[in-house]
Amino acid sequence: MKHRVRILWLKLVLFLSVMGPGIITANVDNDAGGITTYSVAGAHFGYSLVWSFIPIIVALVIIQEMCSRMAVVTGKGLADLIREEFGVRVTFYAMIILVCSNLFNTISEFAGIAASAELFGISKYILVPICAIFVWWLIVKGTYLTVEKVFLLACLFYVSYILSGFLSKPDWHEVFVSSIKPQFQWNKYYFFMLIGVIGTTIAPWMQFYQQSSVVEKGIKLENYKYSRLDVIIGAFVVNIIAVFIVVVCANTLFKNGIRIETAKDAALALRPLAGQYCFYLFAFGLLNASVFSACILPLSTAYSVCEGMGWEVGVNRRFRQAPQFYTLYTAIIIIGSIVILLPGVKLIPIMLISQATNGILLPFVLIFMLLLVNNKRLMGSYTNSRIYNVISILVIIGMIGLSAALFSMSFIK
Amino acid sequence: MFKQTEPKNMYASKMFVYFSQLLERPVIDRDREGVGRIYDIVIKPDEVYPQSSSLIIRKGFPNRKYAVISWSDIEELDNNEVVLKIAKANVNFSEKHDDREELTLRRDILDQQVIDSSSHKIIRVNDIHLLIVNHAFMVAHVDISTRGLIRRLGFESFVDYFVRLFNKNSAYISLEHLIRWKYIHPLSINPSSMTIKVNAPHKQFNSIPAADLGEIFLDLNINHQIALFKSLELSTKARIFINIDFKTQKLLIEELSDKEVIEILNAIPSDEATDFLEKLPKNKTERLLGLMENKHSKKLSQLLGYANDSAGGLMTTDYLVFSKDTLIESVLKQIKERVFKVEPAQYVYIVDEANRLVGSTNFRRLMLAEPQNTLEKAAFPKTYFVHLDSSVKEVAYLMEKYKYYTIAVVDESSILQGIITVDDILNRVISIAWRRLKRIKIA
Repeated sequence: MKHRVRILWLKLVLFLSVMGPGIITANVDNDAGGITTYSVAGAHFGYSLVWSFIPIIVALVIIQEMCSRMAVVTGKGLADLIREEFGVRVTFYAMIILVCSNLFNTISEFAGIAASAELFGISKYILVPICAIFVWWLIVKGTYLTVEKVFLLACLFYVSYILSGFLSKPDWHEVFVSSIKPQFQWNKYYFFMLIGVIGTTIAPWMQFYQQSSVVEKGIKLENYKYSRLDVIIGAFVVNIIAVFIVVVCANTLFKNGIRIETAKDAALALRPLAGQYCFYLFAFGLLNASVFSACILPLSTAYSVCEGMGWEVGVNRRFRQAPQFYTLYTAIIIIGSIVILLPGVKLIPIMLISQATNGILLPFVLIFMLLLVNNKRLMGSYTNSRIYNVISILVIIGMIGLSAALFSMSFIK
Repeated sequence: MFKQTEPKNMYASKMFVYFSQLLERPVIDRDREGVGRIYDIVIKPDEVYPQSSSLIIRKGFPNRKYAVISWSDIEELDNNEVVLKIAKANVNFSEKHDDREELTLRRDILDQQVIDSSSHKIIRVNDIHLLIVNHAFMVAHVDISTRGLIRRLGFESFVDYFVRLFNKNSAYISLEHLIRWKYIHPLSINPSSMTIKVNAPHKQFNSIPAADLGEIFLDLNINHQIALFKSLELSTKARIFINIDFKTQKLLIEELSDKEVIEILNAIPSDEATDFLEKLPKNKTERLLGLMENKHSKKLSQLLGYANDSAGGLMTTDYLVFSKDTLIESVLKQIKERVFKVEPAQYVYIVDEANRLVGSTNFRRLMLAEPQNTLEKAAFPKTYFVHLDSSVKEVAYLMEKYKYYTIAVVDESSILQGIITVDDILNRVISIAWRRLKRIKIA
């Protein structure tokens, strides 16, 4: 008995040491844009979209697991591998699109910070620069391990959505039933929303970021199963939180027939319906998610570009040792925070460009991944099994289709 | 052969060609029929400037097929195409091309990471500069410049034109960021033996300071670390091992056989070995000690018994010690002949018959002294020492006060146990200072 407890304890310690990349990457999925989408989904369609989180979990696990596996087996980042296997030209253009897409994403994260500043009654001209400086300082002065700890702490703060979910006192039976029973509404708004919810799940930067951070952590092959667990837990956690966001909005806004456009609207509408605490928790969640993602997106961009172009890379280096890395990182944060402070900037076109670039890049990244993960020379006996390949091809086709739909849809609107 | 109209000049640009400019050039057979396009070049890596030994060509899309053509079957290398001596029918195409054990330029060097022993860094190769000699190519340089990157993207002339518009003598154009091949160590791993394909010339690695070598090593990914480590010779292994963090040390140890581990532990200074063993789980330490030579393991397990931050925990047992009656000429002779694990500081310790410390001297005093005298005569007037349980502070204080590079450690009956070198003390003192600095910053 004592022996068994010891082994369990040892396993837990091992898992804790490997944990991080999967959970962090998945949680950034619930960024400012994600929270907006889920709030709107809950407010307009009640619980009827909750079932879609189950296929999202499957897609996330399948795709992120491949990244994690490639990182552990090859010890190289995704941009590294693309450069080494597909040459410099492909890498260069992929990186240009990635920088665009991540830049616009970062702008929308800073928009999330600005929105939560207004919710808390602080001027955005104060909060946005403070957050930008914090985010910059964290990476430039930190080491990988301290940065990861801060990120994991940020993941913990997502609990605020779970708390606000409980504060809205939902009917849990109804939530449970609707999460396992798909229900369709045959109108185009419902389908637009469905595509929005699933289509935003997988973005190109996630694969790059996850693979680089697993590599930076130096996880060994024999601990790979813990790394996989990390991915799976990440996928579940992020979707449980998303469900709670939908639940809060469905239980208050949907029941009272309130229409909203943004996460800020949702928080404001919550105040009279669910009380002061629920409002603050929701607003805090938005702030946390935006700051967290505003940190990861520039970081991920700098990582991928420097890997691909062969420049020095890493949080553990000083500015002088990795000038391109820090310049890129700093530039994205500065541009991201300044654009949002300019008077008269419209968010919608920024979101559209970000979605469009994501949509263009995603098919390439996923296809590259599939080719790389099945390359025997790189992966040895860790290539995909036949069944895994069939499933992942289906998931990839589905994701490409959805992101194409999202892309074209945003122009129809 | 490339057609030369100009007089032979080693540095004429026609003598050199970039590998990226060769790729995809058409290959035709003796009847001038198209066979395929240049895909890769196999080289013989053993020479200082390796020569091309065969050509890999590719045809078909999307069902790509590859063929290997020996260099002797090549009739002519033209500026635009490659002409073969053989007929198209004699070229064997197959679908495989990936599992070769030889070194090839496209797969193993172009776009890959390599070690550059001139800048002590890991770099990514943007292009390869080839010298055309006797109907063949020789790998001369690798290009890591931005211009190389732009050439690969196909914008070289365009960007060059723009740069010239603004600054005719721009460093971007005039300076070629080429690194000589002799400094380059490819890292590609042989698929069957799992070691590095090219036997790294150890001379090059020996010219890199040990601390830099450790840093380069830490920048590699796990697979390359293991493969490179396995392909190095023992002295280089030892130099790397003592300059990397514990996590990486442990990882390497797990990949090596017991015999190799023991070899390394024997080859590194005893204070480094105890530093490492101390951090391993107890059962592992004991197993390794059990496998070692009796004498050495006894020494190590004794060292392991001392508190980490005491003089006993810091000391090494590798030092120069002679009995007080030894003649100076024989001391000098022994110093010359002995092989050291690390370069010893220039101190020699003097003991009596019972191994009690009686004095010390340095190389300068030894050289100036009469060769026929006994060692005792060359000793310093007074030798200061510390005890096994002395604290780091005490040791640092004494070493600073008497300007010692090493200090002797004795037990309660004055028997010499080991010495502490200044680098180990600095290491501790710096880490204490850092911790304080951090605390001040936070407060």
